[in-house]
Amino acid sequence: MKKLLFSILCASPSLLFAQGSQVNTQGVRALGMAGAGSALFTDETSIFYNPGGLAKMDHNAVSAGISAVMYRSAFKESGSNQVYNTRSQVTPPFSVFATFGPDNARWKAGLGVYTPYGGAVDWGDSWPGKYELNHLKLRAIYIQPTISYKLTDNLSVGAGFVYNIGMVDLARSLPLFLPDGSSAHAKLTGTGTGIGYNVGAHYNFDNNVAISLSYRSKVVTKLKKGDAEFTVPDAVAASFSDTKFSAELPLPASLNLGLSVPVSDKVDIVADGTFIQYNIYKKLVFDYADNTPLLQDTEQIKNYKNAFSGKVGVNYKANEKLAVRAGVGYVKTPVDKDYVYAETPDNDRLMGALGLSYAINDKFSLHAAYVLQKLKERTVTSPVTQIEGAYKTNIHAPSISFTYKW
Amino acid sequence: MKRFQKNIKLYIGFVALALAASCKPSIDLDTKGGNPENVDFSKYIAVGNSLTSGYANSGLSLKGQEQSFPNMLAQEMKKVGGGEFLQPYFPAENYNGSGFLYLKALVNGQPELGTVTDHLAIRGQTEDKKPLYIKYTGPINNLGVPGMRLDMAFAPGIGTTKGNPYFERLLPDNAPATTTYVDFATTKDHTFFSFSLGNNDVLGYATNGAVHTDATNALISEQDFTGRYTSFITKLTNKEQKGVVATIPDVTAVPYFTTVTRQALLAGANAALAAKDPKLPPFENIYIKTKTTPRAATDKDMFILPFSSAGLLGRQDLKDPATGIVNPYPYGLYLQNPVGDNFVLDEAEAKMVQDRIVALNAIIKQVADSKKLAVADIYSFLNKVKSGYQINGIAISNKYITGNIFSLDGVHLTPMGYAIMANVFVDAINAKYSTKLGKVNVSQYGGVALP
Repeated sequence: MKKLLFSILCASPSLLFAQGSQVNTQGVRALGMAGAGSALFTDETSIFYNPGGLAKMDHNAVSAGISAVMYRSAFKESGSNQVYNTRSQVTPPFSVFATFGPDNARWKAGLGVYTPYGGAVDWGDSWPGKYELNHLKLRAIYIQPTISYKLTDNLSVGAGFVYNIGMVDLARSLPLFLPDGSSAHAKLTGTGTGIGYNVGAHYNFDNNVAISLSYRSKVVTKLKKGDAEFTVPDAVAASFSDTKFSAELPLPASLNLGLSVPVSDKVDIVADGTFIQYNIYKKLVFDYADNTPLLQDTEQIKNYKNAFSGKVGVNYKANEKLAVRAGVGYVKTPVDKDYVYAETPDNDRLMGALGLSYAINDKFSLHAAYVLQKLKERTVTSPVTQIEGAYKTNIHAPSISFTYKW
Repeated sequence: MKRFQKNIKLYIGFVALALAASCKPSIDLDTKGGNPENVDFSKYIAVGNSLTSGYANSGLSLKGQEQSFPNMLAQEMKKVGGGEFLQPYFPAENYNGSGFLYLKALVNGQPELGTVTDHLAIRGQTEDKKPLYIKYTGPINNLGVPGMRLDMAFAPGIGTTKGNPYFERLLPDNAPATTTYVDFATTKDHTFFSFSLGNNDVLGYATNGAVHTDATNALISEQDFTGRYTSFITKLTNKEQKGVVATIPDVTAVPYFTTVTRQALLAGANAALAAKDPKLPPFENIYIKTKTTPRAATDKDMFILPFSSAGLLGRQDLKDPATGIVNPYPYGLYLQNPVGDNFVLDEAEAKMVQDRIVALNAIIKQVADSKKLAVADIYSFLNKVKSGYQINGIAISNKYITGNIFSLDGVHLTPMGYAIMANVFVDAINAKYSTKLGKVNVSQYGGVALP
């Protein structure tokens, strides 16, 4: 049994849901099927997956969930016999959803606060690519008030307004050396905001087959007056006085189509396909308020391509209290091989997920999921340092959430 | 079942641990197989001069020893079957070893150097007041001796207090005075070696402005070099050992000869002149002594790095070394008081030295070929550095201080420079023997430390 568990978690080709820095862990139920299930679940997490499904809820609920997303990347320079691993980093994406609405009304309102994108990599300061990156922490918090309306018993629509708070924390080594021989470094931290929207429609046929269609707009996060701090030798400190920077980080639009098919009283099969408009991410520019001959603005070409993901899952209602589920997914990377940076050494990925829901009583239920994403090994030449080497990444994400309904 | 329940936490812990370990990404190392020639790295010795010892900033320190290129190489060898690599370290409390130069300040962009004088590993003095260093007579693999020359390696007495203090410190007190470096280096029962001697047999002469005053700045003849090089390598390969030999870098590749230029000197002198009286006409020439008659310097004459810090240019209070009389003409700015020959490698001298280096490198390659040894072409490597290139996102060149490769003495390398040099050896060894020696991580090592 133990062996079987291993093979499922580590080897089974599975599903999909994240690219680049995107890690979707909003709904622990869908997460148990690798992110599929936008058509099956019409509950408070529909605020994220499809605002159109929200009005189909026959109750109100509050849920709170948290995940531990662990990026584990490895790098080996070509011709080297040393593998460098990222330091263990846990980013805790969280989500809180709440719905409001009178009983038997055609409408329902909701509020979601969640972290749709986020990642943390920490390569440290002794790996070959340290002049490109020491660490990067990216996080976006979306606050989304939402309203959903049932046009007919079968068709409902919904829309949400997204306000985003984005945070970045980045450091890299500079090729200048302090008296103790260590290298200088730059640290950039900042917070920015952006706005967008989320719309969707949900339709279920009389035989309980359901279709979900939703669209998330792009959200361009503008960082202004971020802090740029430098640790440099005194002799060159005049060229590196702490300054401000601005940058723009576009988060892409996505279009999602979901389908759920009941195959028996207890079993549902679901599938979701997502098209992500990553091609808006052309470049990342850091514009410093005070330039000096040694401190110039930087521009990194990203040239992301549009990407897609596909995922399928199965949900099994074992009894009144327990449901278990599993799913697999595939994510096509938006990152072209000529533009692979250490911050997201991305590649096509496979996902596998397991999950369960357990109703503790009429009011409380618990959901848990575990997702493993394996990014294929990729040998690239860094556009920044010209170092050639192979990257490989696994992402582990255990998640848990509680729901209270009334 | 009860027992199972009792231990359930333990089991869960094991499963969690195993899961975490098994799901960590792994990239396969390419260290297996290969090595069709059965190269044996189990006992690697490094024979050579200052570059082999880890010398930098005009001195040898404990840190410099730790960051010597043979040590970097040995760490990579360990991953493919190499053994322990012992170095003749200075004691921990005497970590500054011989003392060395450091960058005290940048004044208007000009470097101001200081000398480290604490925590030295000096145990006494020779009769002529030169330092003697704390001994290390245990077994070692890094046999690099700063100042060692190929011709000197065969001379008896070099290991005594009258000889080379860095060699002397490696020998026990009861070592016979006749012990030569060749004997010392060829009796270590090695399985693999690197050999980097010959630089000082040419550069010693060149760095003294092509003025020969003693055995350390003689210029070796091709004939002498051929005989001694062949003899040394023959002894090192008497059991068919494999190894790698280094070529000799060109003088025009190192900042010791390329930093202080005629134009920079003129600019400095004229700035000082203008400060005194802006109406005076500027100087147009720097005058130098040559092997024949004094003349105006051209841009092809190379001034050595220490000439700048010596602060002689324009002085009117210097005694002529031959007559002992003060020469009233500003030093170097008048034909009547030219810059001393030992400060300048003039065009003709440079040409002669460069030609000699090319000839000696041809001999090195020929001997290496006949003994089936790899050649680490440091000559080509430093010529490539001369034009500058990027490595790991760092701009490197032969520019003094900012080029990241050369230490403050302008001849020896920074830790980063030694790391890149180690990779020249790695590439040479892998190319010759199809081994799978890994590359050194250059990013782990720094350039010149700024204040």
